[in-house]
Amino acid sequence: MKVYVKLQGTLPDHYQGTYPKAGLEVELNEPITVAELVDILGIPRERVSLVSINGRLAKADAIVPKEAEVKLLQQLSGG
Amino acid sequence: MKFLRVNLTTETVNWEEIPQEYTGLGGRALTSTMVSNEVPPTCDPLGAENKLIFAPGFFSGTMLVNTSRLSVGAKSPLTGGIKESNVGGTIAFSLARLGIAAVIIEGQAVDGKYFLLNIEDANSAFLVSAPELRNMRTYALTEELHGKFGEDKSITCIGPAGDSQLLSASIQSTDLDGRPCRAAGRGGLGAVMGSKGLKALIVDTKGKVPVNIADQESFKTSAKAYAKDVLADEFSGEILPALGTAVLVEAINAAGAFPTNNARFGQFDGVEKISGETMAKVIKERGGKTTHKGCTQCIINCSNDFVTEKGEFVTSSLEYETIWAMGGMIGNDNLDAIAKLDFLCDDIGLDTINTGNALAVAFDAGYAEFGDSETAIRLVDEVAEGTEMGRLIGNGPDAVGAHFNHPRVPTVKGQGMAAYDPRAIQGMAVTYATSPMGADHTAGWVVDQNLEAFGGTVNAHGAEGQVEISRDTQIHMAAVDTVGLCDFAQSGLASDEGIGNVYTMMSAKLGVPFSEENWSALGTKVIKTEIEFNKKAGLTNLDDRLPPMFYNEPLPPYNVVVKVTEEQLDSTFDF
Repeated sequence: MKVYVKLQGTLPDHYQGTYPKAGLEVELNEPITVAELVDILGIPRERVSLVSINGRLAKADAIVPKEAEVKLLQQLSGG
Repeated sequence: MKFLRVNLTTETVNWEEIPQEYTGLGGRALTSTMVSNEVPPTCDPLGAENKLIFAPGFFSGTMLVNTSRLSVGAKSPLTGGIKESNVGGTIAFSLARLGIAAVIIEGQAVDGKYFLLNIEDANSAFLVSAPELRNMRTYALTEELHGKFGEDKSITCIGPAGDSQLLSASIQSTDLDGRPCRAAGRGGLGAVMGSKGLKALIVDTKGKVPVNIADQESFKTSAKAYAKDVLADEFSGEILPALGTAVLVEAINAAGAFPTNNARFGQFDGVEKISGETMAKVIKERGGKTTHKGCTQCIINCSNDFVTEKGEFVTSSLEYETIWAMGGMIGNDNLDAIAKLDFLCDDIGLDTINTGNALAVAFDAGYAEFGDSETAIRLVDEVAEGTEMGRLIGNGPDAVGAHFNHPRVPTVKGQGMAAYDPRAIQGMAVTYATSPMGADHTAGWVVDQNLEAFGGTVNAHGAEGQVEISRDTQIHMAAVDTVGLCDFAQSGLASDEGIGNVYTMMSAKLGVPFSEENWSALGTKVIKTEIEFNKKAGLTNLDDRLPPMFYNEPLPPYNVVVKVTEEQLDSTFDF
């Protein structure tokens, strides 16, 4: 199954590889959690503060559905 | 250090020794204590009895990084209560290095007179008659004043909105490039300045008066450690320099807390067109600056220069709150129009948050379609022209709502809410409702506790724990605004060691021990003073309420309403 992942903020700088501007297409053999997806991408979990799946916030243990659009976002501060 | 007291009625300028009771105070603690001591709470905020006080933070002028915050205090014509609005740029450091702890503006110019205050050096300040500058926009004004008084002067001024004493009028201050793009935006303090008959402060930037520090070595050691932590932090050391505060657009939208079309929705369909990532890409492609230093002593460089396709300067700095206020809040996904509106607000001297709210209420009432950026630009321009509709927009969302008899007005104490819908981040409901400042995000920003760590440490859609985190954060922020630390440099105090460095620097500067209890007591005392003033001004707990729309209208996409009860709100500061 495929999922589509966008890395927000400065996360593209932490991706192990070339990050395409349109985002990543990730092929998965089995359903996985949000946290496992972050691990597969090689991004340290502590760098990810928020995850949205199809425009809705998802917790670390949520299963990523097929064809999902996933956004990984960073630490929040300021205002 | 000394006070500079300027009376516009008598046209006199006096230097004063600092009374004992103000020892150890700076920034917000100083402005709020002085307003409380010297301003009759029931006075007309645009009358002679009100006072406008400019105070650098307690750490401003020292070697500590990111301490160039100036607090501006007065009774607010917008909220009817006490106000502290703070701004970066160059003025706080400059005043502190002239040995000035506060500039107190009192009285009111008579017979249509209008003045500049020229603070020439550490011993000389005088009023300059300048009636011809009334209604001049801030960019033209600062260019003229730099030409006349010197390019290196720090200038803090009002635009036509302040001259007309409109309730959303800001006080604009110059950045390191001399542009009037830094704003003490909130609370209509530009109207107070206009009511005094004061167009601008011109401040010497070459002062060399040393700031008193009892234990220099101890201060230096902690200041260095603090700076190291700010640079090492992911947000202040990496994200803000690359994307600025605009990085929040995608995150707050994902949380369904990005107020859209006058807070009818929590997510904006056009979000990717106005996100921080898109803004940075556009700026880079056009040859602008995504990383820019706006304030003296800054090591974060969160500012930017937004330019046209031809590379011509449009505005600096395009930030999260403005991108929301002039973007999602009015349904506008045109980033160039947002930048233009930001520039116009700086040039006319308007709070972008209140002005965006005012436009949104007008659009919601049927004046124009959401997304109509041309009408938004025309209306903001009309504020300077002084048309009837322009004056309504300049007087803020409550004025617009009253004019159109439209009930959906997202304000508390008359002040427009910021870019976090309180239904989707319920801690912000507590802050907006209970801050003595009116709806204000910096008074108690609790977004991180609600949303971080893949879902937050508290339930963002529930009431549990929200009063406690908002109360603690508001008390903490009152202390932060007192020492003059930039909000974004709080990464330096996020750890136990980091906040320990702040206590050590307080102790080193004061020459007496300073602990966590002292920090909390400082913030608590500031808020108590402010609440007491508001009570005497006639505000009650019924003013600590959110508009009905936040309780009655479920916010898509999560379809949530505010669950924090009125009793819980009243328990926030039950002292």
